[in-house]
Formats: sequence, structure tokens, C-alpha cells
Amino acid sequence: MTPIEVSLILAGILVLLVIIGMRVAFATALIGIVGLFTIFAFEKNMDAGKAFFVTMKIVGQIPHSKTAANVLGLIPTFILIGYLAYYAGLTKALFEAAKKWVGWVPGGLGVATVFATAGFAAVSGASVATSAVFARIAIPEMLKVGYDKRFAAGVVAAGGTLASLIPPSAILVIYAIITESSVGQLLLAGFIPGFVSALIYAGLVIGMAKFNKNLGPPVGGYSWGERFAALPGSLPIFAVVGIIIFCIYGGFGTPTEAGALGAFVVFVVAIAQGMKWDQLKGALMEAAKLSAMIFTMIWGVLIYVRYLGFADLPGAFAGWISSLDQPAMMTLMFILLAYVVLGMFMDAIGMLLLTLPVTFPAVIALNGGLDVTAADSTLGMTAEEVSIWFGIIVVKMAELCLITPPIGLNCFVVAGVRDDITVQDVFRGASPFFIADVATVAVLIAFPGIVLWLPRLISG
Amino acid sequence: MAATGNVRTDGSLLSRLDQNLFKLESMLNLLAGLVTLAVMFVAVGNIVGRYFGYPVPGYIDYMEQAVPAIAILGIAYCQRLGGHIRMDIVVGALSGRVLWFAEFLGVLLMLLITAILIYGSWDHAARAINLGDSTVDINLPTWPTKILFPILFSILSVRLTIHVVAYLKALQTGESEPVAVPLIEDVAEQTKREAESVSGLEEEAGK
Repeated sequence: MTPIEVSLILAGILVLLVIIGMRVAFATALIGIVGLFTIFAFEKNMDAGKAFFVTMKIVGQIPHSKTAANVLGLIPTFILIGYLAYYAGLTKALFEAAKKWVGWVPGGLGVATVFATAGFAAVSGASVATSAVFARIAIPEMLKVGYDKRFAAGVVAAGGTLASLIPPSAILVIYAIITESSVGQLLLAGFIPGFVSALIYAGLVIGMAKFNKNLGPPVGGYSWGERFAALPGSLPIFAVVGIIIFCIYGGFGTPTEAGALGAFVVFVVAIAQGMKWDQLKGALMEAAKLSAMIFTMIWGVLIYVRYLGFADLPGAFAGWISSLDQPAMMTLMFILLAYVVLGMFMDAIGMLLLTLPVTFPAVIALNGGLDVTAADSTLGMTAEEVSIWFGIIVVKMAELCLITPPIGLNCFVVAGVRDDITVQDVFRGASPFFIADVATVAVLIAFPGIVLWLPRLISG
Repeated sequence: MAATGNVRTDGSLLSRLDQNLFKLESMLNLLAGLVTLAVMFVAVGNIVGRYFGYPVPGYIDYMEQAVPAIAILGIAYCQRLGGHIRMDIVVGALSGRVLWFAEFLGVLLMLLITAILIYGSWDHAARAINLGDSTVDINLPTWPTKILFPILFSILSVRLTIHVVAYLKALQTGESEPVAVPLIEDVAEQTKREAESVSGLEEEAGK
């Protein structure tokens, strides 16, 4: 058997292990260990004992050496921002401010919900939790003024999905690490698509409310004084997003420093809001647990990647993909479609970490390789630009799966909070937003310039 | 995805072991949280300091020591609560002995990998001790962070042994809710729990 054949069999076993519920980090580590052993024993002709020892020594270094990087400090700080944000009292303040500013348009409370969820989701980085929070804050208010139940629930479920693109975004950092792309450029690149998604959601809410007057009547009667008075409470959100963008864009600090500064702002606001030690401890425990989970996945997958490098499976897959006799764009569509299917059953971080080591080199190869110029490339972008653009699209796709059956978590959480709304209602209410998102992804694919404009400004 | 755990306890030896180990795991996890907080302060200090011309000496060195510590300190705590990502759509549909067998197999394989990692990471740390390896800028010794890995992997292996034994017992008795292991919740239960925990935060924050 050739190393490629062995690696295909092992990849099959890996998929099987994941399907039967083995923890992904450990399933990838196991296959990586077995794979490295086969390489040393059969390709390098070591005797079994020696091959095993060499394997143990190689994999034993990976958990430490791959996490000893300054830029990875972003992950725990971004996560900490999220957990502290609850104590900083940002959610209600944000919704109140948005309500007073945009409540007067058709579907006004829905529009307010979209902007408030977008802001809070961005800072907390947690889609599902955002939907849970706003199901409690926004849905009662919407129902009070006569909103359609499904419509209200759909807005909240869909709004939570805006978490992953607007900075700070932990999932974009993870993408950057696995694909060795620029963290700063990715974080900047996410801003415009994330913001545009929010605008499209808002436009959709207004359009639907205008077309069907029963869906969501406007609420008005707020004075300019009241509007401005509502603003200060929501400022920390803008501060965090602004700090991260300006720090990276202006080169005032590394992405890690920007993340730390963002966390510090939320920390200070939370203290000012009367956060106690018990609450801080709770936030630290949750943040540490989530960090441990993500880092374990990262090194587990990197053990597998180390093996893949020896076996050259990504190279073979990339070669096969780029030899296909069909337009590159069509191949790309199939890859993205596979993500939609996978995303219906798997959590976004797990899905990306598991697949990117193979799909990312394939996409780069599809475009013409690592050193291709924009003019000679298939997709009209340099390799560096493709890595940013593909990252944004894949992450957007992964979020989209949070509002699709069968396990669209955002929809379940909204139904979980509201006993009077069924999961089916929420899925139905969220479906217009799903369609809008598909259109957004299509636009981002057709016009990569939307994604690349901001990062191009700093890379010159 | 099982994000939160749901562990039953009773007075049995296994459950007491589980609860005592959980205390240690919780302490280590909190330590990881405190290191995160420290990273935040140091990085902010570095920005402010640099502005006035005095950046934190050895900033990168501290970060490179802190991040691996955050990465590893919570690993066993996370396993106790069933927090490591997996796809539970298939196991979630199983029940009784079939389920316990699948879980048993999973944790047994994890224990095997962890044993390999204990050896490998110890080897990595021992080399740093023997060679006196240190960081580039301010010569911090690297072994204290490196040695956390074999230590935490050892604690994880104790945790996994508890899980192996608990699943074996469940396999034997065929009971539906064994002690000392994270029980699977379906999507609705999980999200409901998440919603409740977030609601708790909101109410506390609102006070």
C-alpha cells in the first residue's frame, strides 16, 4: 500500500470515530499517532519499537510547542470578553438604545433586535448564547406591541448568527492558525461582510413588515433627548469593536494586544456595574473551560496535520481537485455545499478544524498555488487573498447552519427560552433570513472585493 | 454538541473519587482563568508602557509561557463536564448497554492517547530541564510551562480511568444513569440549560 492509500483508510477510520461520538480532538490525535507510526515503521523501515518511540517523542512535543505562540493569546482574551460582557449590562442597554433610534420604521423592534444582537453577538462571540439572551429581552417586547410570534422568534434566532464575522471573532482566529493566514487581516476582513449581513437582515425585516402589516407594527414617540440619553450604556460595545479594528488597522498594537485592551474595557465596565468576585470567578471558569476545549482541538488536529504532512494527503487531494475537468468555481461550490451538509450535524469550530487541513490546500491549489499572482490565478486573487476570502465565506457558512434543521442550535435555544413557541415555529420564522444569507454568500463569492477591501488597505 | 455536562453523584467510592478529583480540576481550571486575566493586564500594560517609551520587558516571553498554561490547565476539568467537542447525533440516539459500550470504547482510546502524551510531553519537558532551555529575550526557563503538560495529562488519565470504570460498571448493570460520567443531553435540553445559565447571568448582572 502507498502512504496515500494508508492515509485514506485512516481518514475513513477518523470519520467513523467522529461519527460514533469520540471527542474530536482525541480522535484526530489517535489517527495522527497511528499514521506517524506507520510512516516510521513502513516508510522509514524502523523496527516497531523504535518507530513507536519516535512517534511518542514527536507527538509529545506538539501540545506545548504549538500553543506557545503569542498570537494564540487572542483566543482566551476574546472568550473572556464574551463572558464578562454579560456582567457589563450591555444587552439591555443596547436593545433600549436601538429601540429608541430605529423603532419608528416598519418592523422597528425587529430592526432594533437585529442591530442589538449583531453588536452583542460580535462582542460576546457566542451565537447561541446571544439568541438565548435576546429571546428573553426582545421577544416579550415585540409580542407586547403585537408582533407575529414566528417572525419575532426568527429575528432573534437569526440575529445571533451575526456573531462570527464582526470582530472580535475567536473562530476567525482559529481559522487563521490552522491555515497560517494573517490574523489581523482576517479580523479586519470580517467587519464589512458582518456589518452588511446585519444591514441585509434589517432591510429584510423592514421589507417583510411593510409587505405584511400584521407582522410587526412600528413603535414611535421617542424624543431626540431620550435617544441620546440611551446611547452611553451601549458605548462599550462600540468601544470593543472599534478598539480591535483601529488597533490592527492603525498598527497601534498587535491583534493580541487589541484583544486584551477590548477585554480590559469590558472588565472595567463590568466592575463599574458591580460585578462581584463570585461572578468574575464564574466568568473565568467558563472562559478557561472553553479555552481548554479549543486549544485541545487545536493541538489534537495539529498532531493529525503533522502526519498528513508526512503522508502528503493534502497534496494528493489538492492535485486531484485541480485536475478535475470542470470550472474551478464549480469545484469550490461543491466544497462549500459539503460544508453546509456537515454544518447541519457538527459544531462550527469542530467542523472547520477537522476539514481545513485538507480543504484549504485544495482551495489554494485550485486558485493556482501559493506563489500565483492575481493576474495568473483562477479566481483572480493572490494565495494570501484567497486564504482571507475563503475564511470569511466558510465561517459565514458555518454560522448559517445555526438556523437550519435538524440541529440549528439558535432555533432550539429560542424555543427553549419561550415555552409558547415551538422549534418548528422558530425554524420557519428564521427561514427568510437563511435565504438572505445564501444570497449574501453568493454576493461575497461573486465580488471578493467586498471582503478584501479593508485588509488590502493595510497590506498596501 | 455536548457543551455542558450533567454528572450524577452519590455516596459510592467511585463518585467520591470523582467529586474529590473535580475539586482539584476546578482549582486548576480557575488558575487558567487567572492566567488569562494576567495576560490581559500584561498586554494592556505593554500598550500603555510602549506609549510612554517603557514597554513591559520580556512581554513576548511571558505570553509564550502563559498561553500553553491556559491551553492545558483546564483539560481535565473540561473532560469531567463532557466539554470536549464531539458529534453526539449518533451516540445520542443509542441507549442502555450499546451506549455504554460506545462510551467505554471512546474513553479507553482517550486513555491510551493520554498515556502516550504523558511520555512524550515528559520527554519534551525533561529535555528543557537538562539543557537549561530558556526564552529568547529575558531568559525565563521554559521547563515550568512544559512540565505542566505531563502533570495535567496524568490528572486527565486519572479522570479517564474513573470514566472507564464508571462505563464498565454501567455496561455490567445496564443502568440508565450511571454516576461520575457526563450524561448525554439532547439538543433541546442542552440549549435549555444554556438559556437558563445565561438568564442567571443576566439577572445577577441586572441587580
